Amino acid sequence: MQFRLEKRQEPSKFMAYATPVAAVALTMIIGAIIFSLIGYDGVGAVREIFLTPLTNSYKWQDLGVKAAPLIIIGVGLSIAYRANVWNIGAEGQYIVGGLCATGIALLTWGMTGWWILPLMMLAGMAGGMAYASIPALLRTKLKVNEILTSLMLTYASVQLIYFLIRGPWKDPMGIGFPQTRLFSEAARLPTIIPGTIVHLGVPIAVLVAIIAWFIMSKSVFGYRMRVVGAAPHAARYGGFSENKTIWLAMLVSGGLAGLAGMLEIAGPFQRMVPGFPTNYGFTAIIVAFLGRLNPLGVIVAGVVLAITFVGGEVAQTTIGLPNAATGIFQAMMLFFLLAGDILIKYRVRRVMPQTSTEVA
Amino acid sequence: MDASMPHRLELIGITKQFPGVLANDNISFSVRPGEIHALLGENGAGKSTLVKMIYGIMQPDAGEIRWNGERVTIANPKAARALGIGMVFQHFSLFEALTVLENIALGMDAKIPARELEGRIREVMTRYGLLLDPHRTVATLSVGERQRIEIVRALLLDPKLLIMDEPTSVLTPQEVEQLFDVLRKLAAQGCSILYISHKLHEIKALCDTATILRGGKLVDTCDPRQETSRSMAEKMIGGGLKDLVKARDRVFGEPRLHVNGLSMPAPDHFGTALKNVCFTVRAGEIFGIAGVAGNGQNELLLAMDGELPTDPSAIKLGDLPAGAMSPSARRRHGLSSVPEERNGHGAVGVFSLSDNSVLTARERPGMVNMGFINFGAAKTYTRKVIADFSVKALGAGSTAGSLSGGNLQKYIMGREILQRPSVLVVSQPTWGVDAGAAAAIHQAILDLAEAGSAIVVISQDLDELLSLSDTLAVINGGQLSPKMQVGDASIEEIGLLMGGVHGNTEAPDAIPA
Repeated sequence: MQFRLEKRQEPSKFMAYATPVAAVALTMIIGAIIFSLIGYDGVGAVREIFLTPLTNSYKWQDLGVKAAPLIIIGVGLSIAYRANVWNIGAEGQYIVGGLCATGIALLTWGMTGWWILPLMMLAGMAGGMAYASIPALLRTKLKVNEILTSLMLTYASVQLIYFLIRGPWKDPMGIGFPQTRLFSEAARLPTIIPGTIVHLGVPIAVLVAIIAWFIMSKSVFGYRMRVVGAAPHAARYGGFSENKTIWLAMLVSGGLAGLAGMLEIAGPFQRMVPGFPTNYGFTAIIVAFLGRLNPLGVIVAGVVLAITFVGGEVAQTTIGLPNAATGIFQAMMLFFLLAGDILIKYRVRRVMPQTSTEVA
Repeated sequence: MDASMPHRLELIGITKQFPGVLANDNISFSVRPGEIHALLGENGAGKSTLVKMIYGIMQPDAGEIRWNGERVTIANPKAARALGIGMVFQHFSLFEALTVLENIALGMDAKIPARELEGRIREVMTRYGLLLDPHRTVATLSVGERQRIEIVRALLLDPKLLIMDEPTSVLTPQEVEQLFDVLRKLAAQGCSILYISHKLHEIKALCDTATILRGGKLVDTCDPRQETSRSMAEKMIGGGLKDLVKARDRVFGEPRLHVNGLSMPAPDHFGTALKNVCFTVRAGEIFGIAGVAGNGQNELLLAMDGELPTDPSAIKLGDLPAGAMSPSARRRHGLSSVPEERNGHGAVGVFSLSDNSVLTARERPGMVNMGFINFGAAKTYTRKVIADFSVKALGAGSTAGSLSGGNLQKYIMGREILQRPSVLVVSQPTWGVDAGAAAAIHQAILDLAEAGSAIVVISQDLDELLSLSDTLAVINGGQLSPKMQVGDASIEEIGLLMGGVHGNTEAPDAIPA
């Protein structure tokens, strides 16, 4: 008996929803097996990583705070990826957005006023957009692949943090620590649930996703992104220029990554430190794909990945799992998802050798 | 042709089932030695499937194949060649960077020393008048010359049955005549030929017998010389054929489209540069552009519909310089186009028809409000296209990719025509489309011209252009011939223009590999 992949007449809607669920389930099963084989309590690890953050209500606020930046960046990336614009450098755009917001916070240090936070948001988005426009410019003018340039610029942006917090932006009271001074009250995001760490960024993330969903499904902009990704020649024929689409995709994804950077720096961090880059920009790539490049799906996917972050920390303390375990689980999820996606366009058929009769 | 001799090839009750479609249903016919036998049918009638089973690419589910009276199982193409069955495919498998000799050597089942092979190639070429220099690089050859390589490759095996799959779709009329001479010579020497085509006048001119397939079933086996083209066409499509209604003594109005000194470098490595293309099309006029594929037709279409920008004054819509306008801007000014490639260029296969209407019809019929799409309006418009152009689709929500080629083409034509364009540019309007749909598309083009639009039809099918257009020019190597009246043009003249520099073996080898 043999198995053969056979092209479906139409892509399967069921599989489009089933493969993300299957990818998460497979990650848990294979993860449990792998960690058992290398000598950890595999089942315990999976329980701590995937279930404890859900069952322990004290962890819910952590989930919200971790999910927010993942959702915002993931929404931006899902829009760009729809148009086959492969912005891999959201981490760098997130960092530059955070730095620009920090700049405003330091400039307005000691001042009060409602306008400081909105100004920081604008600066964050502008910073992300500006940083994303470098790969956009190189791609449209010189046909340089944006995957490489956006990725490499991420490493440059990390060095920019180190330069600024060791030099011009160094905290004068920081006894030599490489960090900026703590932002003043007006430059910190308010918490929305008293007594928790849930800040304004969490509802903003949900709002961004809903607005993006609306725009992607109802507007000419969203149509442009979908048609350029699905059939570039048809898009050109329909009057959507490729270069303009690349610019739009990079600016939107970069701007949202920059917004996430601002919300992180003004929310949980409240000062720029060397530990600001937390790989949200890279994890958001998994979020975008797990969410089926659909902004509403990205909300769910953002929460799932936040669970693995929070659960990974729990498992470090409870069963001594190394920090890298979280990354392994996240990467497995992406692999299973991408591998499973072939079932959307193809079905598996059993083939009896030597006969060509159909087996349904 | 002695009737007592066993048949060269005999098919008895051949049946082949694919998921969801019975491609061949109990097909039986036979080919005598030295007979030129036509296999006639529309796209999807089952011709290719049948031939693939004869050549060993597929196996029948039921039925038997007899070769010289004996039952055979043809396991693969190598086995077919060993029996003496040769095949020339519609799409050539040649390496452009290699020479004719190298290409032929690569395709041989047995390894033969190059010198000996060259001798045999030259012998076959002289015997059948297939003139070709074995040391030329394939990239410098015209399509007709490339086909000769494939024929020589098949003839080297000294076949007893040669299968030709739509061989003339890429040839100029003169090249078709040369091909027919070769095939007649072969038949006279006893080689049987199975000739697949849907061009009826060729079959009448060449073939002794015609087997007509429709929807996987054998409809009739007849003598094409006793039939009219019309009677065969009706058997092929299974119904009466409607005549094109073309008004006589048509008067043309104002010039609507000027192309003036349009020159453009090749957009990519495989493209063709356009050289000083000039023509004018008036309201109500259908202007045909003939030519062998790959001579700049695609580039010309892209330049006209705005996908490739040109010098602003090289293209004018009325008096308006349009060369630098985007496709959307040109559409706003009344220029619509239908590209050759339907799925992926004219339409997005994974999108619904309704979403495909948004692609080009979003502005003129008003489907966009403040940057947001009115999907209700798109659906209404799509339903109108489906109804007016009798597109066979489940509804506005079906994906474009689920439609057959002919139905998708009817939808795309309808989508553009219902926008009432003042200029319509169409490339290969009926390529790969069944006869019923082709007639509907032709009538739609005539009606639009009647309503006062200027129309450009780019086609490789000369018959189509001669029946459809009022005026005609030929494109070759990116250059357009002067415009002629269709009534005044002779087929020979057009054929020579189509051949142009390409038909001439003395031509400079302009395309390095």
